[in-house]
Amino acid sequence: MLKIRDLHVSYGNIAALRGISLDVGKSEIVAVIGPNGAGKSTLLLAIAGVVRARAGSVEFDGRAITGQQPEALVTTGLSLVPEGRHIFGSLSVAENLRLGATVRRDRQEVARDIDRVLAMFPILRERYRQRANKLSGGEQQMLAIGRAMLARPRLLLLDEPSLGLAPLIVAQIYEAVRALRDQGVTALIVEQNVGRALSAADRTYVLSSGVIAMSGKSAEFAGNAAFDAAYFGVAEAAR
Amino acid sequence: MIVLQNLIDAVSLGAVYALAALGIGLIFSVMRLINFAHGELIMVGGFTLYTLAGQPLLVMILAALLTSTVLALGMERVAFRTLRKASPATLLISSFAVSYLIQHIVLLAFGSRAMGVAFLPELGTAIDLGGLRIPLLQLVTIAVTLVLMAGLVAFFRLSETGLQMRAAAEDFTMARLVGVKANRVIAFAFAISGVLASIVSFYLVAQTGSVSYKMGVSMVLIAFVSSVIGGMGSIAGAALGGFLVGIVSVSLQAYLPVDLRPYRDAFVFLLFVLFLFWRPDGLLASRADRDRV
Ligand SMILES: Nc1ncnc2c1ncn2[C@@H]1O[C@H](COP(=O)(O)OP(=O)(O)OP(=O)(O)O)[C@@H](O)[C@H]1O
Ligand SMILES: [Mg+2]
Repeated sequence: MLKIRDLHVSYGNIAALRGISLDVGKSEIVAVIGPNGAGKSTLLLAIAGVVRARAGSVEFDGRAITGQQPEALVTTGLSLVPEGRHIFGSLSVAENLRLGATVRRDRQEVARDIDRVLAMFPILRERYRQRANKLSGGEQQMLAIGRAMLARPRLLLLDEPSLGLAPLIVAQIYEAVRALRDQGVTALIVEQNVGRALSAADRTYVLSSGVIAMSGKSAEFAGNAAFDAAYFGVAEAAR
Repeated sequence: MIVLQNLIDAVSLGAVYALAALGIGLIFSVMRLINFAHGELIMVGGFTLYTLAGQPLLVMILAALLTSTVLALGMERVAFRTLRKASPATLLISSFAVSYLIQHIVLLAFGSRAMGVAFLPELGTAIDLGGLRIPLLQLVTIAVTLVLMAGLVAFFRLSETGLQMRAAAEDFTMARLVGVKANRVIAFAFAISGVLASIVSFYLVAQTGSVSYKMGVSMVLIAFVSSVIGGMGSIAGAALGGFLVGIVSVSLQAYLPVDLRPYRDAFVFLLFVLFLFWRPDGLLASRADRDRV
């Protein structure tokens, strides 16, 4: 479904991604893990069209999407939940969710989808009319995911959904990810929480200093010495 | 009685400033551009009235609205769209360039002298309201401003495009990530700023009875000051700032010693500088400096 080949991204003369190749199959959950500054967020931002690739290609459902604008990419079925959530704090929860459906015209179905999101995250129903900046971090993450779902994406990009959240909330968020996957949504998740990533994802890539250090089935990663070396090795080296 | 008279003066001047500040604030909120060429949108509105003087009133008004709006959309398309990713400083400088360019085109075409226009001279009369003599222009200005602001509030609260513009004002990149079309909301903001500018030109022309190629310059400075006081990036803040500056100006006009009154605007700017020491981000929390995704 998503096919990335030899992707290069730079900020000025800082190379953030130096030749990334990565695939995500339909209905698959794929994780990208790696230490701070590895380029994980840059990867998702490049896929979503927020930052420009210097070289390489991104294909979504067989169509080249490199260089397209973010607002055009949402309409093709790709939604990003960015790092730090970026909910619209001055708008209400209801308005945030409505904005999630900006690209849709089927109003009645949108209303039903909003109901589904509220059923998935009941706390949002209680907060429905409140300003979103009044929400706790976990609630904001739920809102950000719900907002992304309202575009009815076929591929969901999640950047560190567990960042700064209490374990109980993290469990709830990942519960939702699993539920989405049961509905056939494909997801590419960036995580620093290695345990979470490995248990949620079918396959995992380890990203380090802008290159893929290792990749494989998540199940084979846990306790694998090569993985420990690749991940914790690069994590140590990055410190 | 004097106090009430002054209050009406203050509110009507504040209303005009608020409309001008809204034009500046709206563009800033969606693209971090301080559009000094907003003054020229006001000016071309005035010159349209001048050119069409003698035509039916409705024709003059609609033509001025159209000219300012088309010019606003044109400057966005030609000058600012290509610079959208540029730094705020670059954007600011290019807005000065656009402002200067339009002023000089008008200077070449019409000359530098102010020219008289009879636009709504009936509004110059004052009406008696329980012992108060209130210029009709002030009442009309207040009424028009209230209607426009109510319309804008309804637009921002109730319409889909209004919601998208509020989202874009808060976090432009995130708005695009949910599918808000960048070109569309920015063009919309410019169109609204054009309409607001031509309405300010109606006030200026009705009040002074003349037009000149520099007529927008001091208004745009006041509008800028107002929107900074309100909080750059906050649309409600711009309106609030405009009213405050109007009230302060009229108070200074009324209560400064007579020989200092000609320097009223200097005092306004002095107070502005002092205000900035107290509240550098303006009154309503601004999101101007919050970085993007
Ligand atoms: N806007 C930017 N301008 C300049 N350099 C940047 C910018 N964003 C990221 N970088 C640099 O690019 C590299 C990759 O950053 P990125 O944010 O993609 O890493 P990350 O893996 O998401 O890190 P984290 O785990 O901290 O979120 C880093 O060296 C970072 O300093
Ligand atoms: Mg990151």
